[in-house]
Amino acid sequence: MLANTIEFLKANPLLLALIKILIVFGVLSGIVAYLVYLERKVLAFMQARLGPMRVGPWGLLQPVADGLKLLLKEDIIPAGADEWLFLLAPAISVFAAFTVFSAVPFAGNFYVTDINIGLLFILAVSSLGIYGIILGGWSSNSHYPLLGALRSSAQLVSYEVAAGVALVGVLLISNSLSMVDIVNRQLQMGVWNVFLQPLAFVIYVIAAVAETNRNPFDLPEAESELTAGFHTEYSGFRFALYFLAEYTNMVVVACIAVTLFFGGWLQPFVGVRALSLLRFTPFVSLIGAAAFVLWLGLKSWVPLERYFFVSLAAVCVVLAALVLYPPVLNAIQGIFWFGAKVLAFLYAFIWCRATFPRYRYDQLMNVGWRWMLPLALGNLVVTAVVRYLVGGHAAATQAAWLGR
Amino acid sequence: MSVKVFLRKIFLVDLVKGLRLTFSYQRPDATYTDQYPLERPPVAERYRGAPRLNNHPETGETLCIACNLCSIACPENLIVVGWARTEDRKKRLTTFTYDLSRCMFCGMCEDACPVDALELTQDFEIASYSRKGLIWDRQALEEGPQPTRYTR
Repeated sequence: MLANTIEFLKANPLLLALIKILIVFGVLSGIVAYLVYLERKVLAFMQARLGPMRVGPWGLLQPVADGLKLLLKEDIIPAGADEWLFLLAPAISVFAAFTVFSAVPFAGNFYVTDINIGLLFILAVSSLGIYGIILGGWSSNSHYPLLGALRSSAQLVSYEVAAGVALVGVLLISNSLSMVDIVNRQLQMGVWNVFLQPLAFVIYVIAAVAETNRNPFDLPEAESELTAGFHTEYSGFRFALYFLAEYTNMVVVACIAVTLFFGGWLQPFVGVRALSLLRFTPFVSLIGAAAFVLWLGLKSWVPLERYFFVSLAAVCVVLAALVLYPPVLNAIQGIFWFGAKVLAFLYAFIWCRATFPRYRYDQLMNVGWRWMLPLALGNLVVTAVVRYLVGGHAAATQAAWLGR
Repeated sequence: MSVKVFLRKIFLVDLVKGLRLTFSYQRPDATYTDQYPLERPPVAERYRGAPRLNNHPETGETLCIACNLCSIACPENLIVVGWARTEDRKKRLTTFTYDLSRCMFCGMCEDACPVDALELTQDFEIASYSRKGLIWDRQALEEGPQPTRYTR
């Protein structure tokens, strides 16, 4: 039966791709919903609050409640709005955000496609998302959305340049645009790109925060100045789409950063024998999660919550036991490390939001054009020169010149 | 710009300091929120809340001698004490009405009480769905507010 299915899927690669797409889309939607929960919780803890606590145990059902609320809300199209564009704009944003994942390798053996121009594709598609914002802001026929849209277009264009140039440094090192090859190259070299291209990494991360319209660069939706920015006039499901797109974009930039700079699905210190015990990190983290959940359960007042947390801890322990089984352990290595790294990045984004105040607009532009772009260009030139001298190209070119 | 300041700017030292501060606030004991219906915030020692008519702890009979001093002391005239004479011409408390909707919790009544029968307690959950519900009779005063209490 299983063998037959595998044969059938091999004969129909499109069907296999469709299944993968469905898995990725479904899992990502869930992750994005709970990313909002994570953000609210982490922000709350950093501000000495507790965050959502009332819907479900520790507010765990809050994303469901929010989703329901948004779906049931009245759908308003403002008078004088360009109706078609108004309806289309959020869809563009979501489409662009989710399409990117087709080229992201989640593990060495799990990705939708491996395009040989993967990174180019990702940058191209993710910058399409700006259209959603601009069109949404313009078609609303309202002042604040228009101002937000203008800000966001200027900001995204400025930072896209710096981010793109910074990423070229990585391309020079890895000799490929394919996301899978970039990771494999890091495996070959035995060192993550972040140690070879620290400057490019810093520039990319800053630009990524700016591109996802997040604090401290959230000027397009600066609520104290622009009500809500480009999505002021949106309500209900369309607003939910923008929201979804924004958080998906967060995951996108985290995925790109992890793949390009932090070795994607690779386990840290993969070549060092003394640290090969790191393979058991999934087991340890599951046990840790079980202990944490148990602690939460013992702390809670409501009996139902206590049962929920205790059973969740039991599930964690069972999973941990399952993970100890060698084939399973090997199978989840890639996705585990990728997920852990992406999660760390997302956490860092939230952390930044909790810490930094918003930039003024001229400061934002100053940083973008007068610091990020020159630094990225300098990084590119230095990388290119070093690559030329070290990579063996120099000798070849010299021979060609001298021979003439 | 001195070298030190320049280096601080380059390596984003101030930003890292800020990040460290916000990170440190995540420890569980830094949380300021009380989970209100589950846990109750401690009120101040001399907080004046819901009134209570005290009973004798052993016999369970009311301590109130129906002297009417609280009613006289009350600036809002919201206390009505009802009494009857017993056969040996002693005053005995029959009814006691306390209109919380007009009370400003000044505490004059408990100060006036010669036998510590009337007392403003630390209970603060005195909200009601109706105005009538805020007028407490003798039974309500003796029992006090009965909110659900949760235990771990």
